[in-house]
Formats: sequence, structure tokens, C-alpha cells
Amino acid sequence: MKFLSNVQTTHKVFAALVLAVLYALPIFITSPVMLQIFILIFLYAYLTSSWNFVGGFAGVLPLGHSAFVGLGAYTSTLLYLTYNISPWIGMIAGGIVAAAFGLLIGLPTLKLRGAYFALATIAFAEGLRVLVENVEKLGPFEVRGPKGLLINLVGNSFKDFQFLSKVPYYYIILTMLVLVLILTFFMMRSKVGYYLAAGGEEPEAAEALGIKVSKYKLIAMAISCFLTALGGTFYAQLVLYFYPKSIMGLDMSYEIAFIALIGGRSTIMGPVLGAFLLRPVGELTRIYLGDTLPGLHLIIFGLVLIIVMRYQPRGLVEPVSRWLNILFDRIEKRRRA
Amino acid sequence: MALLEVKGVTKQFGGLTAVNSVDMEVQEGQIVGIIGPNGAGKTTLFSCIAGSHVPTKGSIKFNGTEIAGKKPYDICKLGVTRTFQVVKPFANKTVLYNTTVGAFAKTNRLDVAEEKAMEVLKLIDLYDKKDILAKNLTLPERKRLELARALATEPKLLLLDEVMAGLRPSEVAEMLPVIRKINSVGVSIIIVEHIMQAIMNLSEKVYVINFGKKIAEGDPHKVVADEEVIKAYLGDEYVANSH
Repeated sequence: MKFLSNVQTTHKVFAALVLAVLYALPIFITSPVMLQIFILIFLYAYLTSSWNFVGGFAGVLPLGHSAFVGLGAYTSTLLYLTYNISPWIGMIAGGIVAAAFGLLIGLPTLKLRGAYFALATIAFAEGLRVLVENVEKLGPFEVRGPKGLLINLVGNSFKDFQFLSKVPYYYIILTMLVLVLILTFFMMRSKVGYYLAAGGEEPEAAEALGIKVSKYKLIAMAISCFLTALGGTFYAQLVLYFYPKSIMGLDMSYEIAFIALIGGRSTIMGPVLGAFLLRPVGELTRIYLGDTLPGLHLIIFGLVLIIVMRYQPRGLVEPVSRWLNILFDRIEKRRRA
Repeated sequence: MALLEVKGVTKQFGGLTAVNSVDMEVQEGQIVGIIGPNGAGKTTLFSCIAGSHVPTKGSIKFNGTEIAGKKPYDICKLGVTRTFQVVKPFANKTVLYNTTVGAFAKTNRLDVAEEKAMEVLKLIDLYDKKDILAKNLTLPERKRLELARALATEPKLLLLDEVMAGLRPSEVAEMLPVIRKINSVGVSIIIVEHIMQAIMNLSEKVYVINFGKKIAEGDPHKVVADEEVIKAYLGDEYVANSH
């Protein structure tokens, strides 16, 4: 394919190799705990890649994306519990609901710059969480307020998006992640990608070049919220029980932003790298110190963020890709020699 | 019909009248200069034409269409593109990327946009820098990138806001043929500039603005001999000596 022609062969081989290893991994790892850790790494990489559409490429800093995770989870689960609609369909419905909400809050807030946009998104996410906590019944839907939703077990069923083993979840989220990365790749090489980057960096110059900056930011917001909500449905089906604080709390929003900033915003691999570095830390502190020091992982992330911002303000993906490139060049030379 | 027709344009900021009932005209294919002392209102007039400011009063017609009060991106789509006095490159992107952003104004396809961008970069002698990040360019190169980006939108009228300010005389001399080349491919140009050598050299017609008002217009060589103009630039006492 033509668009891949400027990507080096070694890069392609490397990417294919990594993918092959990841897809083969469940053959070697059978422990459900280990698989769960990988599933959550992929989920957070997926959520952060979705966040990246608006937080990275559109150049603003949303800090309330857990709201869209929650909207996705609640929409698909309520549709499933009330009308027995398959979560796969509910997933799309949740995406549409989240995109609509994203447009609604994006319309007045995307014109805000810097910290003001971040604050507005925090306020929206928290407002929505408190709202859901106070709603017992919404029309035909039993929202159950702070008690949350429980999805009844039906055993292995693709239609019901439920599996007894972790392996199907592993493959589903890995595939979702790969797809969102491919989408990111194409977006970056499209008019939308160029216009978002331009509008995010120099809005005044961008407008003079014919770019309706607010329109492109709204497009990015809608895409981002839609994709984030799909992750929400996945999460709901993975845990089968959730309540407002667990699925739309701010700590999840912050973790997404931490992963993006530490890994590298507005890059394809930044969110993946960030998730692989930070998620295990979160998981380990939760396992060993969860009772005594809950939330310790966020403090650690904060410290890491300060150090990264000080020495690698564009994220760790920059030095890592530089090393990889050096490595690839050596391999390439040796191959030719 | 003139390509651009500005009639009675006034722009007030609170109590300050930055542009006061200015008329001007640009014919197709012309290079028109706007000169005037610092703070005379040249950039404000520019911003009114390009849509960054909404004029308080007056009409601005481009190709017969009223554009006063329209948004910059819509005005750009109609064929009027401006550059900025303080250059605003997309600093972390390459020269080619910057120019391609401009070229997307007329196409949705990356390969077409990139091709157009390379064509423009060749035209203004920036092609060999195409893979350099904009933040690593020298000032004259950045000014030229500003030009390239605007030109890539395929404007009929290009508004150049002090593209030569801060350049050394030798660099100005290099810029002049570039601007003439752009004009020769059918782009009309309005140029705001302090460097008289450049204005005299390039423009067919000059407008002089002082305190927001037009005080003279016409052939550049005649205009600089005008009493009002000398007064505006040098003060009253120089008028007598010049006769």
C-alpha cells in the first residue's frame, strides 16, 4: 500500500512482531490475574488513545473523560437489563450518547483555553456522577443511584458479551486497541489531522488559512467521546458490576491524562507506552498497599509526571522512539552489509 | 470592477478610532502598498479586510461579495489570505507540514495537498528546507514560510503584513523577487511595510495612512513628495526644506 511506503521495512517488521507476540501471549500466560493486568493495560491504552483525539491532537486538556466511560457503560447495560438488547449493539448506542454529550459540552467549552477547558470538563464529569448517584429511576430504566448496576451471569455467550475465561476479553480489547491505533494513524495523515494540529498550535494563523478551528475541535471531541464510551461498555462487561464512583470517578480521568502526558500526547504510540509503564504500578500498589494507602498510585504518577515534564516535556515516547530508531538503523546496516 | 473595494471603513476600539473612514481599491493583478507611521492603523485595516476584526462601519467588497464581518476562514475560502506581522508558524512541524496545512484549503487529499505545497516551496525557494522543523528556521526563512503557507491556499488576493520587517538589507533584496514572482503567477497583493525601498520598488499604487485616516494615495514616487506625507513621517519643520 502506498501510504506505508515511507515507513521503513524494519519498522514494519518490528510492529508485526510485537503484534504477533501480543496475539500469541494468552497461549503462554494462563494465569487469570496476569491476563487481567494485560487486559487493563490494553483498556487504558485504548481509553487514552481515544482521549488523544481531543486531548492530544486538538491541543486541549480534557480531565473528565471518565464521564464518557460511564455514559457508555450505563447506556449499554441499561439497554441490556431493561430490553435485553445485546451489549454489542448497546455499545454503539452508548458511543452515540457519549458523542452527543461531548458535542453538547464541547460547543461552549472548546473555545476556552488551557486550564479553563480542563476545569470545565472536570465540572461536567463530577456533575454527571453526582446526578447519576441521585437517580433511582429514569423512565423505564432502573439506574439504582449509588448502588450501581449488576449484570447477571449467563455463562459463555458472545451475544451477551460475557465469557467465563479472560482470554476472549483479552482478544477483544487488544483488537479494539489495534483498531483505534490504525484510526489514529489515518487521522494524522488526513486533512482533519493537519487541521487539528494547526488549530491546536496557532488558532489565529489556522483561521487565516481557512480552518474553522472550532468545527474541527468538535469533530475531534465527538470521535473521542464515541470511542471512549465503547471502552466503557467493555469495562462494564469485564467487571459485570459497577457504580458511579467506580466507573465515572475522577481518578480514572486523571489516570488517562497521566498516561497520555507521561507517554506522549499527540503521538500514536505515546498512550500505549504510557499504559504499559503506569498501569502495572497502579495494579501493584493496589494489590499490596490498597488497604493502607489507596490512591498511592496517583501520587506516584504525579511524581513521575513532574520528572517527565521537567526532562521530556513531549513524553517518554520521544526518547524511546529515538533509541528504537538507532537500533533499527544498526539492524538495517548489518542486513545490508 | 475592482478586485477589492473598501468603502468608508471605520474601526473603533472603545473611544479610540484606529481606522477612520478609509476608502481603497485593488485592481486584479496589482501590488498595492500601505504605508504610514507606527500605530497609524495599517494592521487594523488589514485585520478588517482579513476578518480578524469586524469593522464598526463601512463596506468591504471582494469580487463583488461583501466580506466585512465575515470570519477569517470564510474569507480565506473566498480567496483572500493574510500573513502575520509576528510570524505564527506551527513550530513543531516541518516546513512541508506547515505549507500543506495551507494547501488543504482547496483539497481534501493529502497527496494533492503535499504536491501543491512542494510546488509553492519551489516557487519561493524554500524547497531544500522542507523537512526542517519550523522552529529551527532563521527569521527570514520563517517570514518566507509564512508566505508559502498563505500562498498554498491559492489566494486571489494576498495580504502581506510586514513580511520584510526585521530583515537585513541583503535579505530584503532577496525577498523582493519572491514577491514579484508570486504576483506574476496572478496573485494580487496588498503589502504593509515600513521599508520604503521595498514599497517603492514593488507597488504600483500606495496608500498613506496616518492616525487612522488616509492622507494620500497614488504613484509611490509622487506620494513620497507629498507635503502631508512628509509631515506625518518627519514632522512639520521638514516640509519647508523639501521644497
